[in-house]
Amino acid sequence: MKDKKAVLTRRDFIRGTIGVTLGASVLGFQWPKGEAKAAGSSLVTVMRDKNAMDASKNVDSTILEKMLEQTLIKVTGQKNSKDAWLSLVKPNDVIGLVPTDHLNPTHDEVVEVVERSLVNAGIPKDKIRLAQGGPSNPKECDSLIALPGLKAHWLTGIGTVLKLYILYSGSPSSYHKSNSSKLGEIWNLPFVKGKTKLVLVDSLYPLCDKGPQPDPRYQWPYNGLIAGTDPVAVETVCLKIITEKRKAMRGEPWPLSPPPICVEAADKVYGLGTSRMGQIKIEHYGWEKELLL
Amino acid sequence: MTLMVSIRGEATEKMKVDNINLPKAVGVWTRPESPRFINSKNIFKYMNGAGELYLGYRFDHLEVFDYTSDSQDNILVELYFMETSDDAFGLLSLDWGGEPVSFDGSPTAASNKSVTSFTRALYGGGLLRSWSDNIYARVMAERETPASKKAVLTLGKAITANTNNPPEPELVKILPLEIGSAWKLRKDRLGFFRSYLALNSIYYLSHENILDLDLSAEAVIVPYEHISNSGDKRRSQFLLVQYENHERARKALNHFHDAYLPEYKKEITADSAANSPSLFKLEDGWLAYKLFGKYIAIVFECPDQESARAIIQKNVSNLPKKGGKS
Repeated sequence: MKDKKAVLTRRDFIRGTIGVTLGASVLGFQWPKGEAKAAGSSLVTVMRDKNAMDASKNVDSTILEKMLEQTLIKVTGQKNSKDAWLSLVKPNDVIGLVPTDHLNPTHDEVVEVVERSLVNAGIPKDKIRLAQGGPSNPKECDSLIALPGLKAHWLTGIGTVLKLYILYSGSPSSYHKSNSSKLGEIWNLPFVKGKTKLVLVDSLYPLCDKGPQPDPRYQWPYNGLIAGTDPVAVETVCLKIITEKRKAMRGEPWPLSPPPICVEAADKVYGLGTSRMGQIKIEHYGWEKELLL
Repeated sequence: MTLMVSIRGEATEKMKVDNINLPKAVGVWTRPESPRFINSKNIFKYMNGAGELYLGYRFDHLEVFDYTSDSQDNILVELYFMETSDDAFGLLSLDWGGEPVSFDGSPTAASNKSVTSFTRALYGGGLLRSWSDNIYARVMAERETPASKKAVLTLGKAITANTNNPPEPELVKILPLEIGSAWKLRKDRLGFFRSYLALNSIYYLSHENILDLDLSAEAVIVPYEHISNSGDKRRSQFLLVQYENHERARKALNHFHDAYLPEYKKEITADSAANSPSLFKLEDGWLAYKLFGKYIAIVFECPDQESARAIIQKNVSNLPKKGGKS
């Protein structure tokens, strides 16, 4: 009998056999049998302040600065933001800030407070640059600070952390359609791998459906910064928040469609971090209302 | 609740854009003389991967106007010119949420005679979406205020003023609203599409195109909800696809079976409305499918064989005789 290529379908998600099907090289990659990371290895912080934005959605940069400082201290375990930055980057590094620059972009204020904080830590201003765009951007940087905006995405389920570097591939459209599950491989390109020192997600005003195009019906003031050094763990926590918000909006489970398999693939295929909630330590600070975790 | 829009004295110095008269100024907002022009070649530059959504329908081009003001945040107007009104309908159908808006005084979504009768514009949170002629429009205020809402609705009225209101796609009109006394169609979840990516954004089937969908096909997916006094909201998803011809439909159903039901023996029955559909017990309930002329009907997640059979048979009985076989 002729061998037929296994196809990943809805039934695999219901049966919990995604890995098995992907393991049959459905998407052209092998699903490893072993566990990628040791248990409990990834810390993700969620820092919120109900006054980070006002009712008109203006961002309060002073409050944002304090949120960032606390985030840096909690993520690194250092005593202040200067030490925190210097535990993540070297003083002479060329540091690339990578925001979402289009369609629900990262708030300018988030980029600005990060840049200011780096300068205050002693990093020369001329060593800090915006690094969103084509492959030449990461090539010119020693370290990258990922600053995506939190949003659902109609092609990939979620379009936050892993999708942030899609332009680094040099051929973003090759990661559309079924290949969106391979987004993790971009993080392993030689000129990208290992450079991301911090993932800091702008979750001030997330989008939980119909992304990446903005739709105000599905945006809400979460007033948060989500951070960690494990991009997959941070994405997984983002996914949890989006999923819970969708459930709260409809009053019944409203799963992301399509399911965001790029997250699990980033863990199990590309070894970028953990997508298993049991291996993620979430620490949340500040405003507790509708934490969604 | 329905918004009945009747706004006067807002539009000045109109310019004809195809058959759309967009005001040069609305409230404190003004637009540039010319739109940004987006086609299939530069759509990804404009909206990244979101462009795949529009290319999954019969997309012609997009015209974008930014209405700006010194004192207020921008209002974005996007006019998607599609090749057919069905495609414009399809884009609106991806989300029926929001407040129905009527620009011509007609009632919105009040009738039970047709699946989505009269629902041609929806507003929510500063975003207006509308379908008229072959145009799907998005008008969005970056910040919703009473003034921006008034401006958005004024623009919506201007967009639809000289356009026709074509009927819904034929495929949509075929769908029975009820299946016996047990199942009721959820109008607010009905989606019309041509691409598997759009299908997956409504109801995920596979990361691959297992139904051979393309721009020559048209399809509708909608849940039927179980009518019950117990609060039981069981839903079965019904999918109807029309292909160019019988042969393409047959091949597509074969492909679907191979990918989705690989462990089951193929039971594509003879091509007759009277024949029972093929039935399969899966992890999430019963699946039934039927090939009828150039149509494929599939129902997912049915609680029992009888329901699956009834949903398929009732829908197929509404199709043209011999399934439009060609």
